[in-house]
Formats: sequence, C-alpha cells, structure tokens
Amino acid sequence: MSDTPPFSTSKLWQAKIVSSVAFSLCVACSAFIIFLLALITGYLGYIGFSSLSLDFFTKDPTGDVFNPGGMRHAILGTLVLLSMASLVAIPTGMAVGVYLSEYAERSWLASVTRFVCDVLAGVPSIVVGVLGYELLVVPMGNFSAFAGSLALAFIMVPIVARTTEEMLRLVPNSYREASIALGATKAVTIFKVVIPAATGPVITGIMLALARVAGETAPLLFTALGARLLSFNNFFSDPQPFPSLTAQIYKYATGPYAAEKQLAWAGILVLIGLIFVINVLIRLVVARSKR
Amino acid sequence: MTNQPAQEQPSPDSDQAADTSVALRHRPSVFSKLVDQSLLTVCRFSACVVLLMLGALLFVLVKSSWPAIQQFGGSFIIGTTWRPNPLEQPARDAAGKIIFEDGEMVTKTVPPEFGALPVVYGTLLSSAIALVFAVPLSLGCALFLVRIAPWWIEKPVSFLVEFLAAIPSIAFGLWGLFILAPFLQEYAEPWAKTLLGGLGVFNWMFTDSANRPISLTGRDMLCGGLILGIMIVPIITAISRDVLRAVPRHQIEGSLALGATWWQSCVEMLKYAKAGLFGAVMLGFARAAGETMAVTMVIGNNNQISPSPFAPAQTMASLLANEFAEAADPLHQSALKLVALVLLVMSLFLNIIARYLVVGGASGKSRE
Amino acid sequence: MKMMSKLALLAFAGLGLVASPVQAETRLSGAGASFPAPLYAKWVAQFQEKFPTIKIDYQGTGSGAGIKAIIDKTVSFAGSDAPLSKKQIEALNGAAVVQFPSTIGAVVPVYNLPGVSTDLNFTGELLADIFAGKITSWDDAKIAELNPGVTLPATTITPAWRTDGSGTTFVFTNYIASHSESFKESVGMGTSVKWPTGQGGKGNPGVTAVVQATAGAIGYVELNYATQNKLSFGAVRNNAGKFVKASTDSISLAATSAAEELTGPVMASPLWNREGEATYPIAAFTYLIAYQDLSSLNSKEDAQALVDFFQWAVTEGQATGVSMDYGPLAADVQAKVVANLQSFTYKGEAVKPAAR
Repeated sequence: MSDTPPFSTSKLWQAKIVSSVAFSLCVACSAFIIFLLALITGYLGYIGFSSLSLDFFTKDPTGDVFNPGGMRHAILGTLVLLSMASLVAIPTGMAVGVYLSEYAERSWLASVTRFVCDVLAGVPSIVVGVLGYELLVVPMGNFSAFAGSLALAFIMVPIVARTTEEMLRLVPNSYREASIALGATKAVTIFKVVIPAATGPVITGIMLALARVAGETAPLLFTALGARLLSFNNFFSDPQPFPSLTAQIYKYATGPYAAEKQLAWAGILVLIGLIFVINVLIRLVVARSKR
Repeated sequence: MTNQPAQEQPSPDSDQAADTSVALRHRPSVFSKLVDQSLLTVCRFSACVVLLMLGALLFVLVKSSWPAIQQFGGSFIIGTTWRPNPLEQPARDAAGKIIFEDGEMVTKTVPPEFGALPVVYGTLLSSAIALVFAVPLSLGCALFLVRIAPWWIEKPVSFLVEFLAAIPSIAFGLWGLFILAPFLQEYAEPWAKTLLGGLGVFNWMFTDSANRPISLTGRDMLCGGLILGIMIVPIITAISRDVLRAVPRHQIEGSLALGATWWQSCVEMLKYAKAGLFGAVMLGFARAAGETMAVTMVIGNNNQISPSPFAPAQTMASLLANEFAEAADPLHQSALKLVALVLLVMSLFLNIIARYLVVGGASGKSRE
Repeated sequence: MKMMSKLALLAFAGLGLVASPVQAETRLSGAGASFPAPLYAKWVAQFQEKFPTIKIDYQGTGSGAGIKAIIDKTVSFAGSDAPLSKKQIEALNGAAVVQFPSTIGAVVPVYNLPGVSTDLNFTGELLADIFAGKITSWDDAKIAELNPGVTLPATTITPAWRTDGSGTTFVFTNYIASHSESFKESVGMGTSVKWPTGQGGKGNPGVTAVVQATAGAIGYVELNYATQNKLSFGAVRNNAGKFVKASTDSISLAATSAAEELTGPVMASPLWNREGEATYPIAAFTYLIAYQDLSSLNSKEDAQALVDFFQWAVTEGQATGVSMDYGPLAADVQAKVVANLQSFTYKGEAVKPAAR
C-alpha cells in the first residue's frame, strides 16, 4: 500500500461530482428497469385484455383462420400437463430435498446430488426437449402428453429438490432433537415434525417450480408438439400430440392471420395471469403458515 | 432465494440421552425400523434418479450425435456453411470447363454441409449484446437497492424486478415481435442509418459481405440481443444485490472514514465482491445463451455470420427450434443433436464456474 | 400434507370431468405440407360435419416434417408438395406406399411494396437473381424492364423464405433453377436450401408474416395465403411468353396432360413450366401419402374412415378447393386417383372406399 491515503482530497470536488453523477445513474437504472417492466406488462395487459372474450375460454379452435374460435383446449392442456408433471416431480423432488437436508451429513452422494441439482437447473429448456424426444417420443412412436409432462418434470425436479432442502434446513434442530428425545424414529420425525414445520416454504418452492414451468414452450415443442384437439382417447395406449397454451400461442403469433394473433395476445395474458395467480397463492400460503 | 448457513449438527449426546430415560419405554419396533430404512432407501434412490437424469442427458446426446462427431470432428465448430440439402453442381474438367455427356451436363452432387460456426457466433454475439445492455443496468439497480433505497422503496422495487423474471419467455417473444421489432424497423434503425450510414467507417454495419445493403427489418441480431438483455436483468440484479449485501459493513465504513465519496465507497464494494459479481454476469450469460423462444421469434432465422447487428442471425437454440422437428436425413438429425450437445456443454460450463464464483464471492472468500 | 391430498384429489377430479364422454371415436392424424393446409383444414371440418365421430387433425408442419412423420409412422397420413424421393422410398424398407395428388396449387411471388398498386411482372430468371441476392433494390433496371410505366421505389429487397423442410421451397427452387444455371449451381433445389440473403419464416404462414411485416420483402407462398391475407402477388412469364397471374383456371391448365404421367401407386408429376398460353408456370400437385397396408392404424374402422376421407376429398371436396383458389383435379386425373385408392388393405383385408 502506498503512503498517500487511497481517497485523496486534492481533487475532491471532481470526485464529488463523479459521485453525484454515479448516484443519479444508479437511481436512473432502477427507474429504467421499472419503466421496461411497465412497458412490457402494459402492452401485454392492454392488447391482451382487449383481445379477451368469453369465447376464448369456452371454445375450441375451429380451423377457420378468420374465426379461430378459442383456446379452451390449450388452457385445459396446460393444466393437464402441469398436473401430470407435478405428480412425478413433487414426490421425487421432495424425496431428494429430504435426503439432502435430513440424511446428508458428509456422504459423497449428497454433495454430488446437490451439485448435480444445481447443474441441472442451468440446462437450457430446449435441450430438455431434445432429450424428451430421443427418450420418449421416438420409442413411443409419436408425440404425447406423457412425454411433454415428463420433460416439464425434468425441469421441475432440481428446483423442488433444492428449495425443499433449503426450507427444511431452516427448521431448527431443536425440533428434531425434541422429537427424537420423545422416542420417534427418523421417519416419523421427518413426516410429523420437520415437514409440517416447513409446510409453507416447501409449498412455496413447489409453486415456484410450477410457475417457472407453466411458461415453458421449448421443452414441449418436441415432446407434446401441440394439437388442435384435446382428447383423452386411448390416452396411454395411443400417443398423440397434445395441446398446450404456450405451443398454441407460438403457432398463432408466428402466423399471418390477424384474428389468430389476437388470440395469441389473449393467451399471453391468461398465461401471465395463471403465473401471477400461482405467485399470489405462494404468498397466501406463506402468510397462512406463519400464523 | 437467499443462502442461509445450515444449522449446527445435532450433538452426539442427544441420541444417548434419548435412549436412557423416556425412550426405553418406546423402543422402536421392528416395523418402524423398517419404515425408517425404507424411507432412507427411497430418498437415496431419488438422489440417484437425479444423478441418472444428468447422466441420461449427456449419454443420449453424445450417443445420438456420434455419427456427426465421427463425420466432422472438430471441423463442426469451425465450419461456416450449414446447408442441409445436397447441391447439384456441374462437373468441371481440369481446365474448368463444364463436362457434357450425350449432350447433357454432367453434375456432381455436393453433399450437405453442417458447419456450426454461424450459430455458435450467433449465440455468443447475441448474449454479448445482452450483457452490454443488462450488466450496467443491473449493477446500477443493485447498488441502488443496497446503498441508496430505504427499505420501503427497496422491497417493492425488488419485488418488481423479480416479477420481471416471472414473465415467461414467450411473452417476451411476442412483445419483441410485435412491439420492439417494428419500433426498430420504423424508427431506431433508419435513424441509425441516417446518422451513421454516411460515414464510411460504419459501412460494415449496413452492408453485408457481398456489399449488398442490409435491409433493416427490425428482426435481427440487435433485437434478439436487446430482448435477451431485458430477460437477464432480473437474474443479474438479484444475485448482484445478494452478493453486495454480503460485503461486510466495515469495508464500506472504513472507506468512508478514509474520506471516500459515495461512489468511491461503492467502487470498493464492487472490487471486494468482484468474484461474485462476475459469477452473476456469467449466470446471466448462461441464461441468455440457452434462451429459445424469445430469440427465435425476433432474430431473423438466417444461418449466417455477419458483423452487423442489423443482419438477421441464428442462435444454437433457435436453430434447434426451427429445424429439429423436420430433419429427416439421419446426418442432419445427428448434426442438430451435436449442436444441442455443444449448447449444453457451454451452458453447464458457464453455470458451474458462475456458481463457484458466486458462492465464493458471497462468503467473502475472495480478497484483493 | 392434508392440503396436498386435497389438491391431488381436485386434480384427479378435474381430469375425470374433462375426460368424461368417451364415445367410439375415430381419431386420425396427419402432418405435412402447409401449402394445402388451409384447404385440408376446411376439408376436415366439412368431413367432420358429415361424420361427427371421425376426428381428423392435420398439422401444417411442412412437407419435410410430414415425410419424416410417415417414415417414422407417427401419423396416419402425410401431406407433401415434394413427392417422395428415391432415397425416402428406400427408407421405407420395402413397405408399399400410396401417393396421390389431392389438389393443384400455385406458388406465387408475394411482395410488400406500399405505394405500388399495379401487379408486377416477373420471370423465372428475375426471381432467381432476386433470391440469389444479385438484385438488391426494387428500382433495379431488370425489374423496371419487365414493368414499364411502374414507379418502383428505391427500397432494399428482402427475400423471405422457408426455414423448415418445405415442399413449397421444392417447387419454387425447381422452377427457378430451371431458368437460371447460376442459381442451380449456387443455391440448388430441394426442400431445404441455403438462401444467401434475407429472412426466414416457418411454414407458409411464417413467410407470409415476414412479408407482411417488412416493407420491400418478397417471398414465395401458396396462392391461398396471398389472397386470404390480401398480399400483392405478381404475374410470372410462362413458356409461351405471356405474363400470367395464378388463379384456379390458370393453374388447372397446367395439369392438362398430367394424367398420363400419373402411374403406379406412387403417383407424381411436376406441373411447373407447362405449355399453354394461359397456363401459370409455377403450379404443382400436392400429394397425400399413406401406407398401402394400414395395419398400423388402431382398427379397421379407422382404416375405412381414412380411405373414405381420401375418396371424399378427391371427389366432393374439389368444389371447396375451387372456392379457395386451389385448382380442382380434372376428370381424367380424378379417375386415375380413384383407381389408385382401391389398393388399400388392413391386415390382409381390402379396404375400399365405401359410399357413406
């Protein structure tokens, strides 16, 4: 370190001007980001809202490009895909989270699993779609809701696992010690003491994963593809492409037909609405569990 | 999600204590021991499932791209032509004249070429543009949140920035395609052309390699980069904010005591946390590189290498989105899977390094 | 945990509600060319009105995807403007296919030039030069030469083309390559070529969207997309030297002598560069492809439904085609196609089109 003080006073006025300018720039940056958010949600909200109608929720696509009908099939499709993905991802993710939090200690399996979870969270979603195609679509012979939901589950599992682990870790050890002291086994401790103590935050983590996956398009492009009809005929024996909100929006948005583009805007609003509802539910659950 | 240090491990005495008094009356039955063991097995099994997921991903991609790897090897990344169809070209003799046989031109078939350099370039340049846009904004916002804003401003602003992260990428794609691209096409890009087009030094921006003028459609590399930039602002802001918050107060107070201005003390913070900040930037870069839908809709879908931000381009992710479902030729399919593998490896590499830096930075492991 | 089980119950109940009425339905899926997709969508809707239990879903994902889908057997039938190539037939491993034309369409050069109200004239060579990037501005002398009296703006030309494997690209590139050696050598012909300049879109709708959004763009799409979206499209010079705009009549003329060329179960006949004063030079059949042995379908009823749909489409459905600017199959062609449709089987039993 040199002898002169690091913050010399000789050009203080210059430094002060720089400081004020930097200060204002920082404020301006934040304001600009808020402005961008307002710009984007404003347009999405305004155009989406003006394109929304009751038909959107109640009608299926007609195939006529000037009267495209509605997106009922796509909304239901997304809900079905999310339910199926949750059925797989929530138990698996929670089991991994419990393992990492309650059993981990210093086992190499736990550190490797933790590392792999973080790595998996960074996999581009389109690569997950490619994997889904190779592993599920090709052997089954066709696109399907099954493949689509498993692709979504692939993305959900690392998120659920890590958030479950972190939330369970927050439960004070005194709870666990007390439970053991009362003679409960580890399994009982986990199910009756630790998890209930962290219910709110764990559900938060699950819903975060759901909100993230509800807006995904790329993994569905090569697994469920997208369809004009929603059908459960021979759901497990005869795989068929399956509609989803995001795939339908993409198809309409990149086409030339004005009526279809309107539906795409409305679809975006509904999708964001769905994600927003999930986020609100998160906060409600957290608030309720704090009581 | 904030990182909280783990609670201390239970002391080894507690199990002993449990055994002596109350527990003797409630010795675990065989049944509950079984339940315990099964739970442990189930959880361990799930952990293995996670490992299997990563393993399957790598295995499947390497296996299905193997034909392309065998055929092209390293030249895949360097090749500049991506042409899935064969070309019929006239066969020429040693003197360069076209060969005729029975009055008909003899053609030789040039096989399809799969060179990934255009899409690698597209990914790198669009992510770089995204960073140039996002990093100053995010750092400024993070500094605002940590050093300027009182809690009643900081909380709502943090919430709003995180809300930006919750918007799905297809919404950004739609906004980019119908709002930003037309804006660029009608106002921003022609304005740039009138301003800079006359100056010869900027010719590379407005003409392509064959000296043809580039048509300013608004759907180009610049639009892709801007949309990506908006999308990665929340992640860089959130991580930077957490990293800066972890800078010990004494660093800041010390610099202020030595007579630093506000900005100078901020610079001290940034220097202290630079590993973590660099990690945040890399995470943003990784996210931008892997983004598909928003980019596919606005980038112009042209597999070419051009220095101009106004030229249409293609990224690895948008190439997959466009061509994957239709590739019928096995070599084409294999080449596409190889592109997916390259994209995966790049994202994983960036993510791993970034997390190492961020975790290291936040716990103060890095010092000057 | 209680809340979780409640949620799970709700989910299952919801699924049950949605899945309720499951009648004996026939579901057929098709994929392929976006060229005839608007017509096929109408056909499917009309056929379903007549037979409500037969649900057909056709996705216009591009001829390339359609051919891939039928090779992989992920669909019941495929649509393609590019007939199966030798290599693709080999990929079927000896399985017999039936390929027949369903309608005639036209590839038209659409463009976006605000301020130019008259229809422009093009030749194959001019289009080749434009799409090869040799002509870059609308006010180029070569364009002005063909369009005397029209004030052309000095806008940069943006060619718009298909990013996906496309039968429309196949037809268009074959046409212009036949008029320009340099295009044939530098870009080539096929369902997916490397275009030197311009912007890409997915499917006919994608190219239409690019042209709609970009002043100065020129693209190649099926006639229906141009008329439905009110895009200007040009007239093209045919072999007789006349500039002809695509219409139901001019494209039907291209198929005048096509019937003789349609032989065998795998029928194909290129309709571009045909003779005739009023013939449109970039016309093309679009084909439906299905396996001769339909055993991969779920049931004999499904196979029967598919064959009946084919029969209906090439006979009664042709009138719908005319109303949508497609060219109807002439009587001789229709007769040949109907004869071809007699050859389907299901698990050894013949499946012939039945009068429903």
